[in-house]
Amino acid sequence: MPSTHSPGAQPAVEATDLRKRYGDELALDGVSLSLPSGTVYGFLGPNGAGKTTTMRLLTGLTKPTDGEARVCGTPVADRRELVSQVGYLPETPPLYEEFSAREQLDYVADLRDIPPETADERIDAYLDRFELREDAAKRIGSYSKGMKRKTAFVQSVLHDPDVLFLDEPTSGLDPRAARRIRESITDFADDGTTVFLSTHILPVVEAVADTVGVLFEGRLVAEGPPADLTDRAAAGAESETLEDAFLAVTGGDDPVEGGE
Amino acid sequence: MSHRRDLRHGCRIGRAEFVRSVRGYTRDARRLLGLAVAVLFFGGQLVVTLPAAYAAGQSVRTATAVPYLDPVAVTLPVGLLALATLRTMERLGGVDAEELLLTTVHPRAVVIGLVLAELGRLALWFGLPIAALVVAFAAGLGAPTLPLTAGVLVLPLLACTAVCGYALGITGLCVLRRLPTLRRLLKGGAVVGFLGLFVLSQVAAHAFVERDVSVAGLLEVVSVPALTDYLSLAFVGTPLYGGVSPAAVAVLAGLLAVTPIGLAAAERSADALWFGDDGRSQPSGSTTAAGSGAGFAPPRPFAWRQSGRIAWGHLLRAIRHPQELSHLLMLVFLAGPVLGSLASGNDGGALASILAGTGTAVGVYLAGATFGLNPLGDDRPHLPLLLLVETPTRTLLRGRVAAGLALGLPVAVLVPVATVAAGTPLPVALGYAALGLGLAPAAAGLALGLGCAYPIYEPRELWGAETVAPSTLVLLGYSFVVLGGMSIWLVLVLVGLEGSLSPLLLAGAGTFALLTALPSAILYRYALNRYRGYTR
Repeated sequence: MPSTHSPGAQPAVEATDLRKRYGDELALDGVSLSLPSGTVYGFLGPNGAGKTTTMRLLTGLTKPTDGEARVCGTPVADRRELVSQVGYLPETPPLYEEFSAREQLDYVADLRDIPPETADERIDAYLDRFELREDAAKRIGSYSKGMKRKTAFVQSVLHDPDVLFLDEPTSGLDPRAARRIRESITDFADDGTTVFLSTHILPVVEAVADTVGVLFEGRLVAEGPPADLTDRAAAGAESETLEDAFLAVTGGDDPVEGGE
Repeated sequence: MSHRRDLRHGCRIGRAEFVRSVRGYTRDARRLLGLAVAVLFFGGQLVVTLPAAYAAGQSVRTATAVPYLDPVAVTLPVGLLALATLRTMERLGGVDAEELLLTTVHPRAVVIGLVLAELGRLALWFGLPIAALVVAFAAGLGAPTLPLTAGVLVLPLLACTAVCGYALGITGLCVLRRLPTLRRLLKGGAVVGFLGLFVLSQVAAHAFVERDVSVAGLLEVVSVPALTDYLSLAFVGTPLYGGVSPAAVAVLAGLLAVTPIGLAAAERSADALWFGDDGRSQPSGSTTAAGSGAGFAPPRPFAWRQSGRIAWGHLLRAIRHPQELSHLLMLVFLAGPVLGSLASGNDGGALASILAGTGTAVGVYLAGATFGLNPLGDDRPHLPLLLLVETPTRTLLRGRVAAGLALGLPVAVLVPVATVAAGTPLPVALGYAALGLGLAPAAAGLALGLGCAYPIYEPRELWGAETVAPSTLVLLGYSFVVLGGMSIWLVLVLVGLEGSLSPLLLAGAGTFALLTALPSAILYRYALNRYRGYTR
């Protein structure tokens, strides 16, 4: 299965003092992370907080202005090694509208050097699981937003990556498909894959995340298990949900205890 | 090992990108029709050129006697290099589904894939007719191996120019990213530069004709014997074969040596472009709207009416993304040669009058063509907003008309008036200006109707901006009607000002006025109904 190294031997994702500057604008200000293998990390933050920038840095798609990051011990700048270890589902599904879902997945499997028999088995299984089998021969251009999202999710996990970066994976999905994705996330984590999950849908994070990090104005202002964050938020309020915790740490108040 | 894997991945990406292109060409009936017209047009040329190539093959006895071998040996690599560079800067600098490919394979594989796909497209569009010509020539020569040897020789040339052109193009994009001021200057300057080049080409063409300059003689000057020797290697095994020269071998060795160097350079530049900072790295001034602190504040007279404010919105968008007006370059191609011919045969006074008439015609053309030829496609992203606001549809369309008039009317009126200083008689200048005033709104109405009859919705990236260009069919139809009609109107005004209007001519002018106004009004009404059709 995914992890090619023993869990606990080294962090699946490790970032040290990551900074990213766009011109005069500081998008990311000294973010440090250390995620063990097989965990689900819920990455929260308001719009423009720097979540996508962080994911692009950790997948090697953007170079940091300062600091360094490793995925399973591989520096993110080493793309030849990195590509086999990460799967990335960006917010806009990177699909080719001229292809059918089957063609798209075959293509990605080929580029991932997955042997044809294995690729066929996996693709068939995923198409069934996400109820795409009947439409697999249709061009992606004719798909609904949810079908595109499901196809893009499948292509990001086809090679059983060690670390899976998901940017709003359940956005635009119907409840059944969203539940499938949630179940898949926990299944992957159980099998040793580390899932880095960025979303605004807080119930999803509450349901699947082992650890939550909250990014605000480019800084990681809170981090810990969801229950801890909600407990801290509840200390000074009547309710105790992750939403309250999120609003507390991103509303300009003092960072929640334990946050950075 | 990694090189072989990159090459395999690159071939797979190239195949996929090529298939996507072919599916894009044949996506719907409209594109198929366009393809059929193109094949018929260019295929028709082959009816003449193939027998000529066959006859040339029969008549030549030495390689040096092969028609145009010297100039082809020079222009082929230079042309391919320029084409690859420009194509890269225009469209191939980025890759679709970038996040997928760059987190799946090494960037080198992506570069190889994009270059291979481009070679495939090149072969599809130009390779087939050129291959047909070579086969016809070989048949005439009685040398069946010639197409094969020519293909083998062209392959290294193609690979080298494609890779080096890609490297140059993508390096150019990197430079433009680092120098945003230069990029902004180029955005505006590209059109002016293109117009300048076109004018120069017209001047040069007339000089050739008038001074009896031999094109062949000029091409002789730029011939490079080593390149000719290299191409002559294609004649191995034919009666034209004259042996292998050291220069030809050196060219082949050079091509083979430069290709991997070009690939390495392309990979390096692509790495910098794809993994470097995107547009957000620009200084904030370049992405901040001037005066944005004051909000949307159209100047007078646009501020007076709602349609004026809408017009100002269209103008503002055009100023910030001039690429959206790239379809206007069609005017240069259509009117340039005619004007060049007219200008070459007339003296100063007549030239000024021609310039006056040209100004009126261009102004009238711009009044419709600038914002009217694809209104539905242009508005598509905003249609849910536009059609749900309380602003009447006619106001929206009037805004579009007003934007076109704001651009076209000053040209149509001021250019003829300004040419008075150069010798245009004042009555003629004023007559043309009045004509522009009358015909510009008609052109705007005509354009809206034509554009709504055949909207294009698919955006495409051009010089870094997404644009929804009008259909070529609509563009040609509009150009033909407006420029043809303008020619007749300009002549009528001239004849009228000379006082030689007979009752018959007056009746003809009246009928023509009706023929100008009525279709325009009907088509404007049609556009209105098309817009309203979305809310019924």
